[in-house]
Amino acid sequence: MKRWLLIAGRLIIAGIFLYAGYEKVREPWLQFAISVESFKMVPETWLEPIARILPWFEIALAISLLPGIFSRWFSLIATGLFAFFLFIGIRASVKGLNVDCGCFGAGHSGAIDAEWFVEHVAMLALGLAVTVGEFLRARRPKESLLH
Amino acid sequence: MRYLLLFVPALLLTAQTPAASKKAVDHKALSAVSVAKNFKESGSPTAPVKIEIYTDYECPACRDLYMNTLPSLTSDFVATGKVQLLHRDYPLPQHQYSRLATRFANAAGAIGKYEVVANQLFVSQPEWSVNGNVEAAVAKVLSPTDMEKVKAMVKSDTHLDDTVTTDVAMGNNQDHLTQTPTIVIIAKGKRDVIGGGMPYTILKQYLNQKLAQ
Repeated sequence: MKRWLLIAGRLIIAGIFLYAGYEKVREPWLQFAISVESFKMVPETWLEPIARILPWFEIALAISLLPGIFSRWFSLIATGLFAFFLFIGIRASVKGLNVDCGCFGAGHSGAIDAEWFVEHVAMLALGLAVTVGEFLRARRPKESLLH
Repeated sequence: MRYLLLFVPALLLTAQTPAASKKAVDHKALSAVSVAKNFKESGSPTAPVKIEIYTDYECPACRDLYMNTLPSLTSDFVATGKVQLLHRDYPLPQHQYSRLATRFANAAGAIGKYEVVANQLFVSQPEWSVNGNVEAAVAKVLSPTDMEKVKAMVKSDTHLDDTVTTDVAMGNNQDHLTQTPTIVIIAKGKRDVIGGGMPYTILKQYLNQKLAQ
């Protein structure tokens, strides 16, 4: 894969996480806790820690993706998160839950609908492509300075 | 891998859509809105935290908040002087009987029966939201004399919707509502606008933190 394409993909992923995290941290934590609760996956005592930590984790991950150090591992974590978000969306749909994902804050429609699935499948595909590309690039022998 | 190129503009677009549609929630410190004492207000006026609740009588999530969250909130925070509560009306245009239900509640408020009628409207919501017979639902909890007064006001009182107009304008222009129910928690002059129904336990946690600040 072209190096610039990998960088572009990585920056887009970083942008997505930065935007998602920023939109959530500027709201009261209770707002995101309500979204997390709507998935009916965790006990109520976990809601506040998740609502407080996850947005900052997203921002930290975004910043970690920027310099390109350990990028294959950070890409892998990002892809894992994309896969997890898609999984809980599918789970909520199957269970018929009235969910507001709160992915990009309260101002963005968080309904799990066709648009949501297209968005999340695209993000997962991008994550997978970048992760595979980063791992392949890491396996390639480094150019010798002598040549 | 070339297909990745197709994702790039698509992702940029999807990532930017929220920003375009996002109504910025202004969290900057605002002075607490002074609302004249009225029948939709409960609790101490000197309470350190004030909560304004925007609801629509025909919205199921509002019913859930009213029936499951509000009783505990009232007993633990409002009755103990920690929180003052104010109901605001935000009838959604897609709910055809909501405006009428709001008129009944506000007319009942004018004769001192707001709580009992608002409660009845939420309790019996599954029936009147289907058959549209709001009057029959309200008649079950009012005496015939009171019902006549309420019916007369609903029919002809041109000022009955004045507070609704004010509430809707405030919801749109100041609190930028995107859904009902929405609660606004006002502490130290800061308005936290929180949309959606919520279990009482997390609201309690949040309020205790606000009160401890």
